[in-house]
Amino acid sequence: MILELMIALSVGAGMFGVGLYGALSQTNLVMIIMGVELILAAALVNMVAFWRYLHPEEPAAQMFVLIVMAVMAVEMAVGFGIAIARFRTRGSVEMEEARELKG
Amino acid sequence: MTGMTAQMTFLAFFGAAAVWFGIVVFRTHSMVRSAIALLFSQTAVGVMFLLMQAEFLGVLQIMMMATEMSVMAIFMVMFMMDPGGMGAMEMTHQKRLSLWAGGIGLVGALAVIWLADWGPPVPVIPGAAEQAADLGRELLGRSMFIFQSAGLTILTAMVAATMVAIVPNEGREG
Repeated sequence: MILELMIALSVGAGMFGVGLYGALSQTNLVMIIMGVELILAAALVNMVAFWRYLHPEEPAAQMFVLIVMAVMAVEMAVGFGIAIARFRTRGSVEMEEARELKG
Repeated sequence: MTGMTAQMTFLAFFGAAAVWFGIVVFRTHSMVRSAIALLFSQTAVGVMFLLMQAEFLGVLQIMMMATEMSVMAIFMVMFMMDPGGMGAMEMTHQKRLSLWAGGIGLVGALAVIWLADWGPPVPVIPGAAEQAADLGRELLGRSMFIFQSAGLTILTAMVAATMVAIVPNEGREG
């Protein structure tokens, strides 16, 4: 049993749960982005823990972490781009008001 | 053994800090405090990387998140109706469903973690310099295509985000 691995993975699970709650419960676009950031950070913790405690000889695991960091940056850039466009046209980034595409 | 115990203790401490600050993000009414709590949470994650002897990734995480959260705090002040949280506005919906979803995700993940057999621990890992060299060789060798794709994706996202943000109202409204 690798207790350190389990502690790290449990932290990842906790951050995933909190992030999922945040992404689903918040009405503001920027706060939803924060929830998604927490979920991705949970994935990062898990990947580093798997690398450290199961396959430290494999540098591809660290490369995978870099890819997820890139995904975080992309998610933020696109999210804020949409936030600016939404704020310009509607004057707010409240997602309760974003119903234009609803059937 | 003492080294491993110390590592475990600090890992648990900074892990608890990361989760606690994650909770604070959604508990406080002040959006700027939310951004700062997320910064602390991500920094705690970076410290966890350092504790797990992934020095390069730990430093990268802390540096990247410090900048990212500063930008996020600026956006908060720009966009929010009540960035200081003085009015204690309610900005949540479907709270019960979200709590259930988060709770089920947490419990499911914890069950897998604590019930699975992870095999024997690996006692020896490469040193920091060797790790960085191995990662460099990986990025410029076997994984070069994936790494270059990530770079191209970031560039595309930057251009796309800028274009979405600068399109004038008339064009968007039709």
